[in-house]
Amino acid sequence: MLTISNVYKHLERKQLLNEVSFNVGNGRCVGLIGPNGAGKSTLVKLISGLEEPSGGTIKIMGKDIRQWSVKKLAQKVSVLTQDGLSPYPISVFDAVLMGRYPHLSFFQREGKRDIQRVEEVLEFTGLADFRDQMLDTLSGGERQRVAIAKAMVQEPELLLLDEPTTYLDIGYQMNVLNLVKDWQERESLTVLMVLHDLNLAAQYCDELILMDEGSIVKRGTSEEVISAQMLKEVYHASPEIVRHPKLNIPQILL
Amino acid sequence: MRNRSILIISLPLLIATLLVVMSLSITLGSASVDWQTVWRVIFSKITVINQWVEPDWADTTETIVWDLRMPRVIQGAIVGSALALAGAIYQGVLRNPLADPFILGVSSGASFGAALVFALGWQIMWLGQFTLPVVAFLFGFGSLMLVYFLARVGNKVRMETIILAGVVVQAFIGACLSLVMALANEQLQTIVFWMMGSLSLTEWSYNYVVFPIIAIIAIISLFFARELNMLSLGEEIAHHSGVSVSRTRFYLLILASVMTGAAVSVSGAIGFVGLVVPHIVRLIVGADYRLILPLSIIGGAIFLVGADTFARTILAPREIPLGVVTAFLGAPFFAYLLRRAKREYF
Repeated sequence: MLTISNVYKHLERKQLLNEVSFNVGNGRCVGLIGPNGAGKSTLVKLISGLEEPSGGTIKIMGKDIRQWSVKKLAQKVSVLTQDGLSPYPISVFDAVLMGRYPHLSFFQREGKRDIQRVEEVLEFTGLADFRDQMLDTLSGGERQRVAIAKAMVQEPELLLLDEPTTYLDIGYQMNVLNLVKDWQERESLTVLMVLHDLNLAAQYCDELILMDEGSIVKRGTSEEVISAQMLKEVYHASPEIVRHPKLNIPQILL
Repeated sequence: MRNRSILIISLPLLIATLLVVMSLSITLGSASVDWQTVWRVIFSKITVINQWVEPDWADTTETIVWDLRMPRVIQGAIVGSALALAGAIYQGVLRNPLADPFILGVSSGASFGAALVFALGWQIMWLGQFTLPVVAFLFGFGSLMLVYFLARVGNKVRMETIILAGVVVQAFIGACLSLVMALANEQLQTIVFWMMGSLSLTEWSYNYVVFPIIAIIAIISLFFARELNMLSLGEEIAHHSGVSVSRTRFYLLILASVMTGAAVSVSGAIGFVGLVVPHIVRLIVGADYRLILPLSIIGGAIFLVGADTFARTILAPREIPLGVVTAFLGAPFFAYLLRRAKREYF
């Protein structure tokens, strides 16, 4: 699905990303973790075409993304950012409908099928009752849910999440990630998510990629990646590692 | 859907209002003409319909209605539409509520060009009476390009930078303009009058040129409403939704600026229309550009035709500069709406 080969990025003298290579298989959910400045967000920006790599290639479904227009890329990739949608006075329905944009030509208006898709997604995400509310009257968590609905309507093959839970309370953190998980399972979507919270990463991802100083340090299951030695090395911290009583995965206590 | 029903109700209403204001404006003036005669003169000029109209008015009446007041009212409508639409687009692209059609230096450039034409008495041969608008337009467009390329770093243009570049270029061109004005003795009054905006120099021939330009651009602009909405949600969101951000912004700035340039070149820099009309529309119908753009077009026309009617009748036979009237009417009305608005709307 996603193949990254020897991708690097520097900004003037500063090396943001050293030659990074990895791939993500179809329908997988992979978590990107690592300390601040590890290059996780840079990587997401490169894959979403917001910035261009200084070298290397990024392929989605076997195609180099540089060959695609912004619109074409948006047909394949949806992105959920930590800021989500701005609190702009536009209705939930209209905001979600914007997700259809990459599938429409410049002069084409939204048709029946597009509207129907929006209705379905509003139903699925539990936003049906909010449809006429303006974004600026919603809470951050609700807006993030609208952002997910918009991303779903986009019908992507790959979903990128850049710390989508940063500003949310624990209720909404679970809510947002559960929604993504349901969606992924229903449509065998491929997901790559940057998460700061290692506990959430261990719970929601099939696999974790640990980054530090612009390089990949380790890739594997949460079991393999979250260890006392790794936390010490990369985060310079020594929290307690315990087992989740129900899920049997490593969780950390600060 | 909510949007469509708002448009279906408000557009015909506004267009009807515009027609009423326009015909009212034609009836008023030193020689008043009743409105039935106004419409009959207009119908008599339209093929097919004119066979049902019996011309029973004096020739002077026809001259007043058709040759003097009509072109002026029509130009007012065209210029008002163009400035209001351009203002709405600038505000959306720059994401700045203070943006108006003149923020990127189009009007300073045009004014400078016009001042040169007046001061030097230029008359480019083959351009004839179009020398003034063409030179004004080219200077306006030139200063926009200057601003754009000043603000460009690599191939990206940041919106904060472009506003700053606009301030810089405006200051510089403003200085050039002042210099020309200081040196131009007899022509000073004409230059000042032009800069404050006026529709008194109208001719039919100007409308024939300006109308198609502005109409085509306005129609293209309407198709960008969706992109403007997405840009309002944030640059990154727009990109992730498939909008090619820098290209879309460039197109929109060009469209809005050509429209502004065309309007300014025939009427001078009429302030306040482009700032106030889109805001009034926004306060009433909300932040959706699919509504703001079409309603600003008609709203701008109504506003400017109305203002021009005031400008030429209130102190008749003297005429007040149109820019003075737009600010006089616009500012208090805007202040009233702003105080009344219960929540953030931009």
